[in-house]
Amino acid sequence: MIPQLVIPYGNADWAAVLPTFAAGFAALVVLLADLVLPKHLRRGSAIALGIVGLAIAGLLALRGWHHPISAFGGAFVNGGFAIVFQEIVVVAAIFSLLMAYGLGRDDQIGGGVALMLWSATGAMLMAGAANLLTIFLGIELLSLALYCLCGLAGRAGARESALKYLILSSTATGFMLYGMALLFGATGSVSLAALAGPNVSPALFDIGCGMFLIGLCFKLSLAPFHVWTPDVYEGAPLPVTAFMSVVTKAGTLAVLARFAYAALPNPQAHEILVPLWVVAAISMIVGNVAALAQSDIKRLLAYSGIAQLGYIVAALAGTTSLGLRYAIFYLGAYTFMNLGAFAVVALLSRERDEGSHLGAFAGLGYRQPILAGAMTFFLLSLAGLPPTVGFTGKILILASTVSAGYAWLAGFLILGTAISAYAYFKIVRTMYARTTGAPIARYFQPASNLPWIGVTICAVATLVLGFFPFAPSDVLPLVK
Amino acid sequence: MMIAALVVVPILAGLLLFVLPRSAQSAAKWIGATLGLGAFAVAALNYGTPDETLVWLHRPFTATFHIALDGPGFWLVLLLTLVTGCATMVSRVPRGRDFVAQMLVLQGAMTGVFVARDLMLFALFWDLMLLPVFLTLVAWAPSAAPDGEQPVRARGTVASPTAWRYLIYNLVGGLALLLATAAYGIVQGTTDVIGRDPHSLATISDAWSLWIFAGFAFAFLIKTPVWPLHTWMPETYAALPAPMAAVVSAVQSKAGLYGFIVIGLTILPGPMHVAAPLMFVLGLIGLLYGAFAALVQDDTKRVVAYSSLSHLGLILLAIFSFDPIAIGGAVVYLVAHGLFSAGLFMTIGEVEAREDTRLLSRLGGLGARNPRLAGGLTIVMLAALGLPGLCGFAGEILILTGLYRAGYLWQTVVALVPVVIAAAYMVRLFQGVMQGPEIDDLPQREDMSPLEMLALAPIVVAIVVLGVDPGAVARSAMPAGSAVAHVAAPGAVMASYSASGQPMQTRAK
Repeated sequence: MIPQLVIPYGNADWAAVLPTFAAGFAALVVLLADLVLPKHLRRGSAIALGIVGLAIAGLLALRGWHHPISAFGGAFVNGGFAIVFQEIVVVAAIFSLLMAYGLGRDDQIGGGVALMLWSATGAMLMAGAANLLTIFLGIELLSLALYCLCGLAGRAGARESALKYLILSSTATGFMLYGMALLFGATGSVSLAALAGPNVSPALFDIGCGMFLIGLCFKLSLAPFHVWTPDVYEGAPLPVTAFMSVVTKAGTLAVLARFAYAALPNPQAHEILVPLWVVAAISMIVGNVAALAQSDIKRLLAYSGIAQLGYIVAALAGTTSLGLRYAIFYLGAYTFMNLGAFAVVALLSRERDEGSHLGAFAGLGYRQPILAGAMTFFLLSLAGLPPTVGFTGKILILASTVSAGYAWLAGFLILGTAISAYAYFKIVRTMYARTTGAPIARYFQPASNLPWIGVTICAVATLVLGFFPFAPSDVLPLVK
Repeated sequence: MMIAALVVVPILAGLLLFVLPRSAQSAAKWIGATLGLGAFAVAALNYGTPDETLVWLHRPFTATFHIALDGPGFWLVLLLTLVTGCATMVSRVPRGRDFVAQMLVLQGAMTGVFVARDLMLFALFWDLMLLPVFLTLVAWAPSAAPDGEQPVRARGTVASPTAWRYLIYNLVGGLALLLATAAYGIVQGTTDVIGRDPHSLATISDAWSLWIFAGFAFAFLIKTPVWPLHTWMPETYAALPAPMAAVVSAVQSKAGLYGFIVIGLTILPGPMHVAAPLMFVLGLIGLLYGAFAALVQDDTKRVVAYSSLSHLGLILLAIFSFDPIAIGGAVVYLVAHGLFSAGLFMTIGEVEAREDTRLLSRLGGLGARNPRLAGGLTIVMLAALGLPGLCGFAGEILILTGLYRAGYLWQTVVALVPVVIAAAYMVRLFQGVMQGPEIDDLPQREDMSPLEMLALAPIVVAIVVLGVDPGAVARSAMPAGSAVAHVAAPGAVMASYSASGQPMQTRAK
């Protein structure tokens, strides 16, 4: 007798992962188009198909807003929480693709776009992942694509970047996997919700949590697990750096938040997660201090990203529901202001010469006042100054940490912000300072004008969200 | 909408000025001056219009875009718009279009500080007003350091240490303000508190209120500035182009003291009393130090800068005496100091534009050839040293009377010393510039043009009017002043006087 093959999952399960799969499927379409279309159309078609695919994925994801569902036996939970993170991933990936149009080699563009889409797929999977195996699947899908993307540029630095990322990230993945094994050993389950239940050995559970969190901190590039970040960011092509700076963080932050809110019951969370808040505080200081000395914008934004992620994680301190909302709000803010800054850099880039060194900004305030104004605006936002979303976001994080009883973390946030002002205003100063008549960069036509779209949208979002901050409500019940 | 327009229109206009061609300096200047004086007229006509409110945040605390035009803020808005308009009118700064844009953004942001009735909105404008000053310091840094080589940074841009010092000092203060605002919002549940009746607010526990006050006070002391946090100030005033130096010294420096009056006195009276002895010490040191430092400066702008340190120390004493008369005097002196320091910076700027120097050791004897300029400087100088009948005197006499009445006898005596020294350094300034033998190597140019006289005239008129009748300005502080005096000295005679000496309100205890 032939055993009947039973598929225990219904349409609802597949519908939950449909947006995620749509992004992955779009990558296949991009590759196919790259094969069949004539050479001069490949660049445009790859970018256009990628953006369309992501937009469809984003719209599909939105459909699930009011229909939370726990798919595949709780492996993937779709709902407001997952959707917010998925939308952030989609938006960030679209902006990165806009930057990618003018940069990189013709014969690589199809593959590059496909890899970026798969990486985004991994991040979208992480956004909804609710058991350890799905989390691992998402992280690996995200990372494997990124290893290749980092090596895309022909420079020696790119290869170094890719290899460094591969080795260090694999080590961190090892930590995480071992932590997952210990967690499974302690509780007998891989589901995050079940981790909150009784366990055989608290010591085993704690060590497992610690190793799991170390893996996550590495992916979030929180200090002291950050040393790979500046080198990898510097070596990777500009659009990939922009992509990594948001998408990796969004995906990992979703996992971290879900783990902190769903897997750890509240009193336990207060104990186990204290090292995480300390790590966040260290990141704010280390990231900003290191950013002071940088003269390459990509490195500077890498260090600034370390500090910004410190702010976001600090918002989660105390695992309050307001804290989660403001962490998500600030992540959205970070997405716009950071990608806006990257888009400005992309507009200063040529085929062979990414405009990421500080010298490319000298006198920009007189050459291209609008672009310089936009950059100033994004930097103001990153520094937490008004009238931007960075200001509003920071005051919300301050409020939530203070009200959760972590006033010392608010103090570190202020200290870090004060230090960061010098790093960000260094760029502002370079753009507006009078020049001594020494030769400075001249105006040239950017490789493509598409990043202007990104600059415009990011600037509007940075302004408007500052005055009308809406943080997604009722995401907390959907975490578990 | 009118109050919001006072804030938004200058900022938008400042950004839109970049639409003009770079060569349209004159047009930009006139747009700037028109917007400044236009805002003055609009503000003057809209005193006490209904508050404008829009919700900003519901959680974690209520924050609103709440703006109003009344109280001490109204007078400071008038001062700001008048000074900005007049200073812009006679601006001779190179790259005029860009400079006027910075002036307009600064005007909008500072108007925001004085009309904000919500702490978070206050913090927003407080930080926003840093930016145009920083950009001006960066882009219009003096072409050469007074002594020697201009340090050059790599990448072909001119170094700007002054800009950094200004930014870092004020930003650290701004961040302290931000943290205090967030903490206050969490504890109180709302930040829409400026100008509200303090009795309608929940009382805050001492531990919280002390920390919150520390954050606010730190920001206010840096911005004023008060010794020992003043080191950014003299060089900032010296490095700024004269029109912006006039605005920053006349108005931006008032934001901190204004904050003590409208925030400290009403919503955090407890910690204000705790901090009063410290503030008295700082204020007295600043008074004396500023006066003596002003006596020996060679740079005329630095003379005015240090004299500001001295005068603002006096206002700090007045606020922390919690005496209604002294606080009324503090508001009068805020406006008065704004008027005469703007006048001083404008006339010094005009001297500098003619003679290419502003050092007392190189200037001299200008009065004979430039009688109108000398006349203008005389009037503002006399106001600055406290001649009765001009605005400086009105503020000083109210403050000193109030201090004495509140029982601070020896402090009043010490505070009198700098008032006397003020006469010395102001006369020294005037003599050094206008009197003495004519110096040959100075390029003697034409006297004040009619336009320059027209720009200085409103300030002179205001100096006289405020000196003769400061009553309305002094009374504007009364809601705050009386509430605090009530807490401060329940047994004291609660009599408040208008400047003309008539009892204005009497409360029997």
